Amino acid sequence: MLKLSARCAMPAERSSGMDHSHYSYSPLPTRAPLVWPENKPLALGALVLLEHYEWEPPTDAYSLRNASGGLIKLPAPDYVQLTHREYGHRVGVFRLLDTLEHHGIPATVAVDKVTAIHYPWLVDHLMQRGCELVGHGVAASQIITSKLSKEAEVEIIGNSLDTLEKVTGARPSGWFSPEGVESQRTPELLAAAGVSYVCDWPNDEQPYKMTTPLGDLISLPLFLEVDDEFALWHRRASLASWESMIVAAASRLHLDGQTSARHMMLTLRPWLTGQPFRIRSLDRSLSQIMQLEGIWAAQGNAIVQAFRESQFG
Amino acid sequence: MADRPTISWPNDAKVALWVAPNVEHYEYLPPRDALRNPWPRSPHPEVQGYSHRDYGNRVGFWRMLDVLDEHNVRCTASTNLAIFEHYPDIGKAMADRNWEIMSHGIYNTRYLSSLTEQEEREFYVDCVDTLRRHTGQKLKGMLGPAVSNTIRTPDLMSEAGLIYHADWLHDDQPIPIKVEGGPLISVPYSIELNDVPVFLQHHDTKDFVEMVKAQFDTLHEEGKTSGRVMALALHPYLMGMPHRIEGLEEILDYLLGRDDVWQATASQIAEHFIDHHYEEFVDHAEVISAVRDAS
Repeated sequence: MLKLSARCAMPAERSSGMDHSHYSYSPLPTRAPLVWPENKPLALGALVLLEHYEWEPPTDAYSLRNASGGLIKLPAPDYVQLTHREYGHRVGVFRLLDTLEHHGIPATVAVDKVTAIHYPWLVDHLMQRGCELVGHGVAASQIITSKLSKEAEVEIIGNSLDTLEKVTGARPSGWFSPEGVESQRTPELLAAAGVSYVCDWPNDEQPYKMTTPLGDLISLPLFLEVDDEFALWHRRASLASWESMIVAAASRLHLDGQTSARHMMLTLRPWLTGQPFRIRSLDRSLSQIMQLEGIWAAQGNAIVQAFRESQFG
Repeated sequence: MADRPTISWPNDAKVALWVAPNVEHYEYLPPRDALRNPWPRSPHPEVQGYSHRDYGNRVGFWRMLDVLDEHNVRCTASTNLAIFEHYPDIGKAMADRNWEIMSHGIYNTRYLSSLTEQEEREFYVDCVDTLRRHTGQKLKGMLGPAVSNTIRTPDLMSEAGLIYHADWLHDDQPIPIKVEGGPLISVPYSIELNDVPVFLQHHDTKDFVEMVKAQFDTLHEEGKTSGRVMALALHPYLMGMPHRIEGLEEILDYLLGRDDVWQATASQIAEHFIDHHYEEFVDHAEVISAVRDAS
């Protein structure tokens, strides 16, 4: 049995490297140059989140205290928040997928277990459109935290992956934890469950290898600052600002990617960016980005596979 | 401000400009502090917030460094001193450039506000020793870790041999702080001209650039009568982002392209003030106090 307490010192020990054992410190300029297929400087991906907030979550489940959506925090059942989010599953997702497809960007879609079970038509539809599905826990209203027992966490991860495998016929290779929240054990439990890459750590412009004792795992960082919820909901950036931010970030990464390739994973929520007035901003920013020469629009798994080949041959 | 002695900076500069990148480490699992929780979003670990800041040390610091180097900026790095232990590459990059290291505590997740007097005393010994061990520099000033302080902080800083404190947002000029020993002065820092509060809100890079330019223009104009201080507070995890870095270039082009700017470190500002203006400022403060006491 693995001794977690020995691996995750608390509080930090003042010695070289990270204050946890999930990956090594790696300043970007010291790395060997990363090369994408055909020497393209920038891989562009889009992670679309189909995250379900339950009307009646289990009483012992943990939710974010400032979950987004809705107007103000209402006593349960919060019809405004819950239906605001459901808009994404009913309407927004199709608008979002159309826009991504229009620009030739193949979608990576995080699907939680409740979504997979309650929206079988939608899951089939995603498969028909060629989306890559990644594991996303059981529900957004059941986040994974260090308050869970190891057994409970193993069950959530297994349950989520098994359900997606059952409804699609393929086991997901990627993972994004509900609301991006992890316990101390999550990386190694994901590796043990056969997951190839995780998107929970938005700390880099290149994928990197994690160091779990239970198997191989790659971190594919999302780009938090252009994440629609982070920028538009929490920071309340204007749409014009978000649009120019996406373009400016991609342009700079494209430039810096000439010396060592970069990736940019957009995080898009159908209930948010899928609204009619917001979709136009995404559409315009993607039009501009896709005019840059040598953009490699790809799904998570393809980016991770190319990273593995670049690093490990 | 209206009635003070006049401050003159070297070479008749109007504005003393210090550039303060905050080089920080937020702990993955910080010790529990009853008064303040650095990661309220979820039970710890909070990998999203942690990773956002970790980006600064992996990527953002290095992108910012290129721009600071191009502009020959000698920074005053507000540093969580455990950076020297966790990330020797960053420590070396700062030391090689002869940046001044200002203490920003040990970690950004360990707050002074919960320390006893004795613990705080030991904290300064730790800060002074850690900096000397890694750079040979003598520690001269502090911005409290995550801007935390106690009521005893100025006295204990002074006792530990520090000469400036950056947590006083009350002025555009250095001001003597009353302490047992001394001298200890405040060097104006900013929580306004600071990428954290700006980018926590809806503002974009362009807004920040405009704020910085306007701040500078006002201080530069006012500095014709008496010298002013301007701090530019930066964080690699924010300003080092690909969509913001051009803003930093524009800011530095603007500030350093102007005449009568003294690009100094915080301790250079503090020492110049102590050597040339400290006494008259203390005298002036006593005159003002006497007016109050007489009324």
